[in-house]
Amino acid sequence: MGEFKGSAKTGDLSVALSNDELHILINLVEQLLELLGERNFTHHYQSDDPFAQLMAAVVGNLESTIEQPDDPVLRRLLPNAYADPESAAEFRKYSESSLRSVKQTQLMYLREQLVFPVDHELPKADIAVSDPAQWLVAINDLRLALAVRLDIKHDSYELYDLMKDDDLQKPLFAVYFWLGGIQESLINHL
Amino acid sequence: MSSQTQIEEELDLSKFFDNLWVTIVWDDPVNLMNYVTYVFIKLFNFSQEKAHKLMMQVHTEGKAMVASGSREEMERVVTQLHEHGLWATLQRDDHGRV
Repeated sequence: MGEFKGSAKTGDLSVALSNDELHILINLVEQLLELLGERNFTHHYQSDDPFAQLMAAVVGNLESTIEQPDDPVLRRLLPNAYADPESAAEFRKYSESSLRSVKQTQLMYLREQLVFPVDHELPKADIAVSDPAQWLVAINDLRLALAVRLDIKHDSYELYDLMKDDDLQKPLFAVYFWLGGIQESLINHL
Repeated sequence: MSSQTQIEEELDLSKFFDNLWVTIVWDDPVNLMNYVTYVFIKLFNFSQEKAHKLMMQVHTEGKAMVASGSREEMERVVTQLHEHGLWATLQRDDHGRV
């Protein structure tokens, strides 16, 4: 699942997601929003699902370091604009908060789209994508964040292929590559 | 040509080269190739062919210069690239100096 139908050009782009997929996505989006310092939402999804807990344990274990600029996920999502540390710090002083707020807005938008079918207790989600460009960027930020936590390299797919089924990291890698598939499918339907 | 004009031209030239900055996009293992191409087309209005070529340069050589202009312009471009999750920096264009 996670296949897009229709097209952005004709305005009928939609994506079909199962309940499990929705919950994984909502969980990731909310964790990343928290990491970015967004507090303006109530936790939508609290699950006892061990899989979701596993996600939280990995992506959420650095939540307490929001204030520190050296969190590796934040460093990737809000990177230095200059190689020279002094110029980078100077530029960051007046640019970081707006970049951060752009990312928060994109993720809040995606969250809104994802929680709609859950709020309305629909058995499965067929979400009408109202803003494909924002979807694309928000999904990309999720992949970037997850990639930092999983230490994704160019050869990670080969490593994933060789992972044993009882490896606790395997489902997380699966989600990462699944998100890549969603993004690919979305790009093909623009 | 009067000497006054010559001086003005020299001033303009030095100003031009001092103001020449470039934006570099760096390779990373996460951003999908067709996503990077999409971002280049969206932000810079490149043709599909040019965007693809630059994306391939990032992929194979580890980096590519995607824009040049004033420092302020390049700061704006880098910010847009960061908004889209690409890894980009700006720097003075040393090759443009005389």
